[in-house]
Parts: sequence; structure tokens; C-alpha cells
Amino acid sequence: MTSRTEPLAAGGWPPPVLDPAGPFAESVTTLAWVLLLGGGAVLVIVLAMLGIALFGPPRLKTRLGGERAIWALGFAFPAVVLTGLLIWGLTLTSSLSATRVAGDAMRVKIIGEMWWWRVHYQDADGREMLRDANELHIPVGRPVLLELEAADVIHSFWVPRLGGKMDMIPGRTNRLLIQADAPGIYKGQCAEYCGGPHALMGFIVVAHSPADFARWRASRLPESAGAGRGLALFLSSGCAACHTIRGTPANGLAGPDLTHVGSRRTLGAGILPNNPGTMAGWIADSQAIKPGNRMPAYHQFSGDELRAVSDYLVTLK
Amino acid sequence: MRSETGFDPALYDRFPTKEPRPEGEEEELRRIWCKPKGWEYLTVVNNNYVGIYYLGTAFLFFLMAGVLALLMRAQLAAPMLEILPQATYNQVFTMHGTVMMFLFAVPAVEAAGVLLLPQMLAARDLPFPRLSAYAFWAYAVGGLCFFASIFVGLAPDGGWFMYPPLTSKAYSPGINTDFWLLGIGFIEISAIAGAIEIIVGVLRTRAPGMSLDKMPIFAWAMLVFAVMIVIAFPSIILGTLLLEIERAFNWPFFDAARGGDPLLWQHLFWFFGHPEVYIIFLPAAGMMSMIVATVAKTELVGYRLIVLAMLATGFISFGVWAHHMFTTGMPPMTTGFFSAASMAVSLPAGLQVFSWIATLAIGQRSFNAPGLFVVGSIVIFVTGGLTGVMVAMVPFDWQAHDSYFIVAHLHYVLIGGMVFPLFAAFYYWMPMVSRRALSERLAKWVFALMFAGMNIAFLPMHLAGLQGMPRRVYTYLPGQGFELPNLVSTIGAFMLGLGVLLFLIDLARNFRLAPGGGNAGNVYDGATLEWLPSELYSARSIPVVRSREPLRDDPRLAGDVAKGRHFLPGSATGHRETIVTSPLLAEPQYLQIMPGPSAWPFAAAVFTAGFFLALTVQAYSFAWVSAILAVVSILRWLWETDRPVRDEEVDIGAGIMVPTYVTGPASHGWWTMVILLVVMAMIFIMALFSLAFLASNQPAFWAPPPSMAAGLPIYFLYGAAFLAALAARPLLKRDARWPVGLFFASAFAAGSALWLDWTGWSAAGLAPQASGQGAVIAALQALQAFAVGTGLLMAAYCAARVARGLMTQPRSNTVDLAMLFLCYTAAQGLTGALFGRAIGMT
Amino acid sequence: MRRAGGLIGLTSMMLTACSPPAIDSGTADPDAIARGKAAAYRLGCGACHAMPGIDWPQGRVGPPLAGFGDRALIAGELPNRPAPLARFVRDAPALIPGTTMPAIAMSERDARDIAAWLSSLHDE
Repeated sequence: MTSRTEPLAAGGWPPPVLDPAGPFAESVTTLAWVLLLGGGAVLVIVLAMLGIALFGPPRLKTRLGGERAIWALGFAFPAVVLTGLLIWGLTLTSSLSATRVAGDAMRVKIIGEMWWWRVHYQDADGREMLRDANELHIPVGRPVLLELEAADVIHSFWVPRLGGKMDMIPGRTNRLLIQADAPGIYKGQCAEYCGGPHALMGFIVVAHSPADFARWRASRLPESAGAGRGLALFLSSGCAACHTIRGTPANGLAGPDLTHVGSRRTLGAGILPNNPGTMAGWIADSQAIKPGNRMPAYHQFSGDELRAVSDYLVTLK
Repeated sequence: MRSETGFDPALYDRFPTKEPRPEGEEEELRRIWCKPKGWEYLTVVNNNYVGIYYLGTAFLFFLMAGVLALLMRAQLAAPMLEILPQATYNQVFTMHGTVMMFLFAVPAVEAAGVLLLPQMLAARDLPFPRLSAYAFWAYAVGGLCFFASIFVGLAPDGGWFMYPPLTSKAYSPGINTDFWLLGIGFIEISAIAGAIEIIVGVLRTRAPGMSLDKMPIFAWAMLVFAVMIVIAFPSIILGTLLLEIERAFNWPFFDAARGGDPLLWQHLFWFFGHPEVYIIFLPAAGMMSMIVATVAKTELVGYRLIVLAMLATGFISFGVWAHHMFTTGMPPMTTGFFSAASMAVSLPAGLQVFSWIATLAIGQRSFNAPGLFVVGSIVIFVTGGLTGVMVAMVPFDWQAHDSYFIVAHLHYVLIGGMVFPLFAAFYYWMPMVSRRALSERLAKWVFALMFAGMNIAFLPMHLAGLQGMPRRVYTYLPGQGFELPNLVSTIGAFMLGLGVLLFLIDLARNFRLAPGGGNAGNVYDGATLEWLPSELYSARSIPVVRSREPLRDDPRLAGDVAKGRHFLPGSATGHRETIVTSPLLAEPQYLQIMPGPSAWPFAAAVFTAGFFLALTVQAYSFAWVSAILAVVSILRWLWETDRPVRDEEVDIGAGIMVPTYVTGPASHGWWTMVILLVVMAMIFIMALFSLAFLASNQPAFWAPPPSMAAGLPIYFLYGAAFLAALAARPLLKRDARWPVGLFFASAFAAGSALWLDWTGWSAAGLAPQASGQGAVIAALQALQAFAVGTGLLMAAYCAARVARGLMTQPRSNTVDLAMLFLCYTAAQGLTGALFGRAIGMT
Repeated sequence: MRRAGGLIGLTSMMLTACSPPAIDSGTADPDAIARGKAAAYRLGCGACHAMPGIDWPQGRVGPPLAGFGDRALIAGELPNRPAPLARFVRDAPALIPGTTMPAIAMSERDARDIAAWLSSLHDE
């Protein structure tokens, strides 16, 4: 198991689907290996038969050239293999289904939107505790039950190293269990075509050791609204119509909650690193970075106004 | 030997006849089936022309959608390129999938059927040549206009699967989506017209003696194909209709906030969409089975197994649709069922693959052009089949679904299962339609480039999928390891494109159409009837078929047929005609007089296309004018059919006499109407399913329906409508005016019932815009209104024929068909009235 | 303020035009250049600047950086030498108070590498 800490450079090797980081992905990986190797073996067998049919000795050719061989190779053999696979698949499906929820699972509601994610942390009774966006923090070694919903069109939640994907469908709540067994950053992406910049609708999961998670959790409680010129500009320029910063008058709901935006690893839904420079670039002209996203380009700021706003936002830890 | 129709099989022994044929008989055939000149190329209806037009147009769409694929591969060659901007890319990938599936794959195999089946069955033509022409022109005009939308940036961009709510008015306000919904809905109608033609053609126009077990395997494949279209396509027609209504009139079929459900679309789409894959695959597999036997110079091993496998595929494929929905949160029981069915459907594929391998094993090895593509197809298809088993495993699919792994899988299946067989078929049957065969030398290059290119393009996509690359992305961020597999894929895609380009060069050099005879002949030594010497009327005489491979088993057959020593050596009535035979044993039953060239099918197709296009661009007055002109054109074309005949009975060879005018269940017209009614019933059944689906998924939005008892007058009126229509047939003997009166009575009774039904629902407070329930109930009523309106039109048509003295007596196909339609209309209305009240009854 | 800056820029440009700038990118470590490009990508400089060899993002907020090594001045004010450039990319407002470019947290080594990379960019 490799550990990756850079949010935007996962490397791609080993392929995340074959490099599980938790139990819900792990059993699927085992299945994937069996299927890949078994499928490869069957392909070799079929090619060998085809080779015999074309180039083989007459004796073997005759045996291959009758209805008995067709039944045996084309029906009986696959039927046996497939029955075995089917039983395994059904057992695994029901064991992975989120219908049976472990008691100590952490609960988070994630709502897909064009083209970002709302993240609502909940307590054991399903009450909302914390709001965030585009980033999910979890403790290692503990199952996390995700309640997946959609605000506009269909999206699909997929973090390959932690589990399979699950669609987010308007009017429904789907459930998915994920778990990470090692601290690190796990990349995800929307897997259901949702129009426009669907390709740039990323997501990250940050898994902490239990102690780090408790620290992260505690850092979330005081609402660090800050003050000064940056906030004043933020409020007077219309940003608050779409964004919330708790502890300030900014309470817009259309865009991501920015209360802790400074502590996020990424900007623009998992696609850019987060620092004052990228923040400024995003605010001034996000359309150049993620064409089609719902945030207009803010050309009206002067240079130092833009710097004041972005410097303010990155202090919101 | 038993008989199916009372025909004495001993009569077959009269063939080949010995007497010399009269002078000028062949010239008369040539005159009747004459070649078109000038503008007449637009009005031809003969399958030799329509088949080639059809196949050529389908291939054109293959090339255009292929160019779109190359554009996409260029864009994805490296991360974050801007060769295609986001909005353009989204249109391009939508068009690539849509055009390949709807405008290339299905029409191409349907076209192959139109071109090959009459020759293979030794019929003079398909039973409804004008319907073929209509289906082709509707497809060509509609398809080309649809494709043109990409040049003006109005192409649909919601993916070929068009999932709402992304495709609803709120998220796709432009007319791009309407192009898809109206364009594709319309082209599906053309596909269904072709399928009806193929079913009747295969079952009723086979050469005498060609019982089902002697039928070429391709005809079996086309039969299963056409039946599957008839069952599957109504679902997408209903789906597009509902989504277009939602967009135009705000009826919330798929809007979860108002008691609709986005998943309803997915069920309707995939109930069509997965059988669609087998609809494409089966005819190609049928071609493979034909070609593999000829290439190996032997008999096909496992003929019965293959037929069995095709029937099983057709059946099972209707139980696999939800495997496209494993990640929508279905309960494990449901996914388990669809997972099992998806695995089961690979068994018949295995039977077919090993039948081909067995045939190659007992035959002689030859790597001519068709042989190469056959072997390549097996390799690619098996690979795609194996990844198919992988994604049928639900937990694995949770990872693979909507990733590039699926892109790889589906291209292996479709290219191995359809494109390579089609190229094998191009090489194999080219000598039948062209004066020259294609180049064997160039074919090796074409094959090598296509085979290598295909694998280099799609093998790395498996890896990209496992690396987490989702599909339908216009670009990807660097640093995720996607760069290398994507670059390799792009290189492979261009190799594949180069192979196709070489094929085009070969076509340009060697393809010379030879419809009126003079083709390259039986280059590969095929044993089935399409290799008989033929002209526009197909074979000179229609042979008695005594085995599955008649040309191999009777070396003199070709000569005898060309000398007119079999059935129908000339024209018996002086018109175009073909022998209609019985469905199981193909015993001659009667002689069908066929319509000749006509401008009306062409006009009807252009106006139908005009109607749909005008709707898309919201030119409503133009749309209604087009619709009226289309209906007028269709009626005008029908007007010339079903005329009183001169000779009641004619000699079709060797003194065998058959009637020339048959009505009732034995007639091909009756069969066609029954199949058409199955299509309408499937549309209606899918609408009923939609109602039940919304009732169980959105119970909170369900209003109590009007009571069963209150519907009694409705049931009574529909019963009366049914009986009135039924009585028309026997009463025709008395007076031709009786059926007309009864048909009007039936249509009015059904119309009144519909009116009562609708007022009952409005009184219960149901409005189409208010809830999913209201929307579906109103849609059911709209379907019923369409049926009643059509029934009324038929009654008026009968009245016009009686007034002009064109109604045959004492029996008439026109009356039979109107009777069937009106009886169905009454039954459909009654079912809808009962079902709507039963769903959600308290 | 802005006009004054422009004036200063113009003057210093004329001054530097007399003595050709020392081109030291030839002596720069190729590893440093490669590391600098990677760091620029990692830090998301593209959010504001189009940069050669980095396809995305290609921000339009700040000036494009193609041929940066040939420019006389940094932001029209500072001589374009690796040392001030490294300080500028790390903390622009400290050197040019009115600039839009914010201070961006990075290691000194990252800053030097990025400066080396930018200095290596020449017009073709």
C-alpha cells in the first residue's frame, strides 16, 4: 500500500482500483485480480483453440470440429465458471451493500452539484454538525457511511481506492460505505456525465490518524471569521450572495461554504492547489481555469483589492 | 412428407422442368423490372438499389462518426489540450455515440438485410418495396439533417443516453436536445418499418421448399433481429416522446420534485439500449456464420446450435437492461437477477464462437480478405465478451462503471461483434453487387492496420479505467498517470482510421455497381442462393430448395435457374410479383403482385422528415403543413395498392396454379398489420409500466384514481367499438358500404369512451403538469387519441375507396386491416382505462 | 502611483537597454529548471499566468510568461535577475507594494528553482 500526500499528483501507478486503501475497496480488488487473470487465461485458451482450428494437427482439429466440442467449450465450461463467479459476486454484493450499517460508522451527507460537492458532517442521529465542500475528512480504520444526494442533475461519487462508485440522483438518497486504513489523501472524481466541465469535478478524501482527526475536528469548532479590508470587500462585492462564511453576514447558499476555505487542500473542486496566488487567479477569472463553472469572473477588483480578498480567504482555516 | 397448407410436396418433383421456355419471357422480366434512368433513381423501390443506397448511407455515417472519434482522440492525446473546447467536445462525444449506434450500426445491418435477403431467399424483392424506400429516405434525410446540427453548434450534448434531468429544459434549454429526441425518435420509426418488412420477408417470401431448417443462418439472424427491434424500439420511442413532452409542455415524467423519476428514463432507455447491442450483434454474427463456412469451404458446424443460441440471445437480452444501472442504488436482489442474466447471455455467444472455431477446424484454412476479418473478429469479440463477464459482476462494476474500462469493453464488443464482421461481409458480398471484387492484396493491409490499430487504441483504455479515468471527459488533469495510455490510444485510433482510409481507396478503385447483372460472380464459392446468377428481378426463376446449401449440393442448380426451369420463370400477371410461401415449410400459397417505382414514398419520407425537423426548430406552422403533406403522400401511395385483380389464379410454373389475391390471416398484409399492432402495444405497455413504476417509487405524489365502477360506460363503449369493427368483415359480402358505416361507428364509440375517460380523470383533479401520475395518465390518453384518430382516418379512407368503386368484394385486404386496427384500438383503450384505475386504487 | 511605477519602469528599461543583461540561464542547473517547472505547476501559478509547457490552467489574470528570460524587468519595475526574481515570486508585495500578485508560501529552494526556470524561457 502506498501513501500519497500530494493532493493533485496521485501518479496513477499502481492503478488506484488495484491499490485499495480500505476494506470496501480491498475485496473488490481481489475480485478484480481474479477476473483479470481468469479472463486472461480464458482468452489464452480460446486463442489456443482458434490456433488449433487453423494450424493444429488433423487429430485435434477433428475433435474440435464437432457439436460435442461446441457444447463442452462454448457452454459447459463457461457455465461452470460463471456459476461459481455469480455465487461469489452475489455474496460480495450483499456484504458490501450499505443496507447493513455498522454501528460506529461516521455519517456524512454529500450532495453533488454542477460541478462541485457539498459536504455535511452529521452526528449519530443524522443532525448536521459541520458544513464544508469538495473535501472530506475521515479518521482511519472507521467505516464512513455516505448519504449521497444530488441538487440538480445526476452525479456519481467515486474514490477508487476507498470503494466503488454510487450515483447521486435527484429525489433519492443512496448510501455508500467507504473506509481508509492509512492516513493520506485519496482522489475522487464525478463519474456520471453531468454536462459542461464534468471532467473537472474532482474531490479529495483526507484520512487522518484518530489523534489528528480529533485535532482537525476541534479546529473546526471556533468560527474564525476574521475581519478587515478583505472581508469588507468580500461583503460589498456580492460574493456573499452565493457564499457563506459563518460568523459574518455572508450567508449565500448557491456556492461552496467558505468558512474554512483556507484549510482546504484544493480549489475549484479538487483541481487546483490552494494558496493566495491560485485563490486570486480563481476569483479574478475562474472561467479560464474551469470553463463553464457557475462562478463569474470578477474583473472589477483592482490589483490590491484582489490581493486583499484572496489573502483574507486563505486565512480562513 | 407432411404438408402445412395442403400443398402436395410431390409437385416439387416437376422441377427442373424440361420443356423449352417461350421466346421473349426473359426480356419481359427485364422490361417489368427495368433499370431507372435520370430522376428515377429517386423513385426506385427495388431492393438492389434501396439496399445499396441504404448501406452506403450507413457507411457514410460510420465514416463521419469515425472522424468525430479521431477528433476526440486528438483532444485526449495529452492532458488539458484545447483542440476541442469543452462545449464542442461534449457535442462531439454525444454525436459519436448516437451516430454510431442509431445511424450506423442498426441501419447498416438492416440495409444488409434489405440488400441480401431477397437474393438469399430467392424472392424477387422484399414484400413491401415502397416501405423499404420510405424507410430509407426517411433515415437518409432525417439522419443527414440531424448530423448537420454539429456544424452549427446545435448538436445534442447530453450523451447518447440522454439522462434527464441533465437533458430537461432546466439544464439543457437549447434546441440541441430536441434535435436528438425528435431526430432519433423519428429514425427509430424508420428502423421499425424496416424490421416489419424483414419479418414478413423472411417468414413469407422464401423460395418454395426452404423450410425453416433449410434457411440460411443470416436469415435466421435477421428474423431474430427484426423481432427484437419490434419489441425493444417502442421503449425508446415512448421514452423520447415523454422527454420531449416534458421539455415542450412541462409534464413532469422525470422530475423527482413533482412525482416523476429520473430513473424511469434509465429503465425505458436501457430496456431498448441493451437489447440494441444484440440487435447489432446478431445480424453480424449471422454474416460471420455464412462467411466462415464458405471461407473454410465446408458446411457450418452446429447450425441448430447457432439458431438455438440466437433465439436464446434474443430472449435473455430482454432481462439484462438494468446492468447499466448497478450504481443507481438498486437493492442487491435486483442487481443479483440482472447480474445472473448478464452472465447467462454470454453462454449463447460462447456457443456461436465455438461453432465458428469448429467450422474452421474441419474446413480448409484460407486467409483471404473475409477470412482475415472473421478470425480478427473472433479474437476481438472474445476479449470484449470476457470483460463483459467482468462488468456483469456487480462489485467489480461499481469500480469499472462509467470509467474508461467500459469504453474499452464496449468497443471490443461492438468492433469485434459488428464492425469486423461487417468488413468481412463487405469483402465477401462485394462480388455480388459490384462488377469487380475488392483487392485481396490491399485487404491484408486494411486488416493489419485495423486490427493492430483497434487493439492499440482500446487495450490501454482498460488500464486508464482502472487508474480512475471517468468516461465522457473532455480532458484530464496531468499527474494521474493517464498521459501514456491516452497517447497510445490516440496513436492506435489513427492507425485504425488509416486502415479504413485504405479500404476507401480500394472501394474507389474497384467498386462498380452492377445491379442489372454482370457482377463479379461467385468469387468465394458460396453455396447459398444469393450466388445464383441474378438481375434486378433476382434469379431468373425461383428454385425449389431441397437443402441448406443448394448450390453445393446441386451443381446444376444455377444453370437450371438461369434457364427458367424452376418456379415463376417469367411474369405470370405482367406485373412485378413474387411467390408468397407458408411460414414453416415454405409451401407456395399465392402470388403477390408488387408495387413498382413511385415518387410517393420519397415524398412521404421528405415530408415526414420535414415535420420532425420543423418541430425541432419550432417552426410549427411549417411542421403541420409537412405533417399533412406526409399523410397525403402515404395515402396516395396506398391508393394504388389493393386493386381488383384480372386473373384470380395463375400458373407459377409446371402447371402449378395459385391465387393472386388472398385475404385474412394467410395474407402478408394481415401479418404486417399484426406486427404493427405489436409495436403499438409495446409502446402502450411501456407507458403502463411507467405508470406502475412511478406509483411504486413516488407514492407520496399519488392521487386516488376514479373508481372502477364509474368507468362502466367507458368499458361498454370500448366493447361496442370492438364488436362494430369485428362485424365489418362478414358484412362486406352484402354491401361495401356496411364496413364503412361500422368503422365510423367504432371510431366514434372509441372516441366517446376516451372523452368519458378523460373527463373522469379531470374531475378527479388530475392535471398533466401537476404530477408524474397526471403526466403519464395524460400520455396514455394521448396515445389512445392517436390510435382513435388513425382509426378514423382509416374509416375515411375506406369510404373514399367505396365511393370510387375501388373496394374489392366479397373480401378486401383494406377492410381486413382497418378491422384489425380498430379492434386493437378498442382493446388498447379498455386496457388503459382499467389499468389507470387499478394503479393506486384504495 | 501606477503612472509613477510605469515611469520608473520605462527609465530603468532604457538604462538596462544600454548594457546588455547578463544571460546566466546557460549556466543554470538543468535540474533546477526542471524542478522549477514542476514547482510552478504544483503551486498553480497557471491560475493567473499562461506558461509555456504547462497546458493548464492558462490563467489570463497576469501576463503570460513565455519568453520571460528575455524581458528586461520583472513586473516593469525590477531588474530581471535570478536573485530578485526568486524573491519576487515568493513575496511580490514586499518588493512592489502595489502589485496584484500575492505572497505565496513556498520554500526558498522552490523560489530559486522557479526563478531559474523562468529565466530559461526565451522567445523562439
